[in-house]
Amino acid sequence: MSLVLRFAAPRAAAAASQARQRRRFLTWCLAPSLAVLFVITLAPMVYLVVVSFTPLNLTNPATAWRFDQPLLNYRLLLSDERFLNSLWVQAKLSFWTVGLQLAIGVGFALLLNLRSGLLRALRTVFLVPMVLPPIVVAIIWKVLYTPDISPVYWTFKALGLSLPALITDPNWALPAIIAADTWEWFPLTMLMVLAALQTVPEELADAARVDGANSWQTTAHVLLPYIRGTLMVAGLFRLIDSIKAFPLIYLLTDGGPGSVTEVTNYYAFEQAFNFSYLGFSSAITVVLVAATLLLSWVVVHMTGWGAAE
Amino acid sequence: MEARGRLTRRSLLAGLAAALPAPAVLGQDKAKSKYAGTTIRGAAFSLPFHQYLQNYFPEFEAATGIKVSFDIQAFPIYNQRMDLELSTGGSSYDVIIVTFIYQNRWIGAGWVTPLDEFTADPNVTPPSWDTADFVRGVEASMRDAKGRTYAYGVEAGAMVLGAARGDLIEKAGLSLPTTMDDLIKVCDAVNGKDGVSAWTADKLHHWNWPPYLQAMGGRIFKNPPQNLTPMLNTPQAAKSASWYANLITKYGPPGILSFTDDQAMQSQLSGRANMRTNAITWAAPLAKNPNSTVKNTVRYGMVPAGPAGDFPGVACHGFGIPAGSRQKGAAWEFIKWALSKEMLSRLVKEHGYPSVCRRSVIESEPFKEALTLNGQDVAALYLKVLDQLGDGAYMRYRTVPVFPQVGDKINRAIEAIATKQMSAADALKQAQQQAVEAIRMGGYKVDP
Repeated sequence: MSLVLRFAAPRAAAAASQARQRRRFLTWCLAPSLAVLFVITLAPMVYLVVVSFTPLNLTNPATAWRFDQPLLNYRLLLSDERFLNSLWVQAKLSFWTVGLQLAIGVGFALLLNLRSGLLRALRTVFLVPMVLPPIVVAIIWKVLYTPDISPVYWTFKALGLSLPALITDPNWALPAIIAADTWEWFPLTMLMVLAALQTVPEELADAARVDGANSWQTTAHVLLPYIRGTLMVAGLFRLIDSIKAFPLIYLLTDGGPGSVTEVTNYYAFEQAFNFSYLGFSSAITVVLVAATLLLSWVVVHMTGWGAAE
Repeated sequence: MEARGRLTRRSLLAGLAAALPAPAVLGQDKAKSKYAGTTIRGAAFSLPFHQYLQNYFPEFEAATGIKVSFDIQAFPIYNQRMDLELSTGGSSYDVIIVTFIYQNRWIGAGWVTPLDEFTADPNVTPPSWDTADFVRGVEASMRDAKGRTYAYGVEAGAMVLGAARGDLIEKAGLSLPTTMDDLIKVCDAVNGKDGVSAWTADKLHHWNWPPYLQAMGGRIFKNPPQNLTPMLNTPQAAKSASWYANLITKYGPPGILSFTDDQAMQSQLSGRANMRTNAITWAAPLAKNPNSTVKNTVRYGMVPAGPAGDFPGVACHGFGIPAGSRQKGAAWEFIKWALSKEMLSRLVKEHGYPSVCRRSVIESEPFKEALTLNGQDVAALYLKVLDQLGDGAYMRYRTVPVFPQVGDKINRAIEAIATKQMSAADALKQAQQQAVEAIRMGGYKVDP
């Protein structure tokens, strides 16, 4: 027994040393990648958080590293009605754009999944809004929403109907942005869902039909549950993108009329680039990033995405 | 050696050419030897001035050897980019437009070069360039407390009333309104006649509204630049904002709240809207633009007065040199050339440029001829507005460092009132609170 121990102990020590060396070797191998990752992604985030604790104002360089009231920007945010309103506007915009894009995207994907030569040919046409530069999309909708030059308004006028100026009417400005954003991005969800639908085994739908399910039941109980993961990813992508909505708001409404379409990132942009309040703007951005991460986590956990089957 | 001493026909011609400078570029020969081969980069927002001036760049380049390249952007884009560029001490640009509402901010932050070192040296700037010739009120906002000058006026955007369809007003038996009450009467009488809206405006309410606020006895700040306490929650402000919101929504074309400057001008040029108060730069094209359909019906007048008087807005943008520029000498040569009496006179004679800042040019016969629009002496109106400006006291609200922040609150308040989201009193109370917070955030004190 003691002889075994006498030989086993050095062997274990050697194995442990070897494991340590291996870990060290792997760490050194990973170090350059980790360093690049830190510099590219984490360092700017860390800097953003640091700046949010200062009153940094570009017209006064002395404010760059002042930490005498580190939580001042966050305290101001709590009582800033425009910021709180911007969160509410953001929530409404995200809810409607993501919901509509998923609904319309799924609808079109189901249609395009039918065995029809015409629909197959139309696939590319449906993708056009998504591939247009956002500025072009904004210009298209600016024309459509401008009463003097819009064919929509001309048509209504010819029919003897009047349409309010959508982007300057407080009741219609946000729906106008939602319509434009949905038009631009539903093709993405459509494309993802269509790709997922094409992986659904034929036998599943056939089995449902044999059991007496009609088309609606087959779609609701077989196809949609099968592509639930894809819907989840598409929804999450769109949710995150909806929080980044900017060009449409910048070009169509400037956040107005009043603050009806002022979302949080537009408010942060104004504070930073129109007024030079970088510290305050950073605090807004930190809150926005935290809210996005939290929301993504909640959505992922609520739907059980990524959990073991 | 022999050849150097010989007088050839070619050397004689070269000598003669060198001795005879072109009239438009007098005084630039020294620059050629010193800055030849330099390239300067300029930046400006879209203004007719640049459109006209660019035609003469080759003359400047030939005379000085300095190459010029200019970036022209839309007004809000330019201001955002330039604010960022200047704040970083960037050296991308050598000549810039020092925008009126950013003058105090950019000058106060030390982002623009004082020009006195150039103007005080007779070897650099001949006394005939005459800095005193620039209208006093126009230059006031481009100086600091010590009297140093940081920019010279490119455009004095003096506000006038332009009525594209003056004939409709005359048909109604009325004349151009001179008071705010008259204005509403005229609007009531002509709105919708011939399918023409009585009023039009762009969405820059913090420029369009203050003349009517001041005319009703209100003000933006308590005593700018010393006391920046906002004065937006006063009864005068609420009354005036309510009046103005009614003016644009009741008498303006559909979608007026989203109109840019160009859209508002286009609505007048095409005869779809009648009256507008704005800088003369935007009013003169009604009579001069080749595409104008209202050349024969346009009339001009002063901005309507209120109980407290008339306060036509004047926005004076100037050429300056960023503190970070590495070509300051060459940049000054360009400014000196562009804003010389000779060049401004040519812009007036050859293009009818209406917003000149030099008194000698404004009072000249060619200027009067250029600004006789549809038979009216608009030059006299222009000079009257500039004289009324005096030392620029009533426009000081606009050049304080925090005006961009406060202006944004005004824009949103007017939109909220015009779209009936809030009453004038509530919207301005909210604007006041937000303005106070923004001013404090900028490090300035306001009264409790």
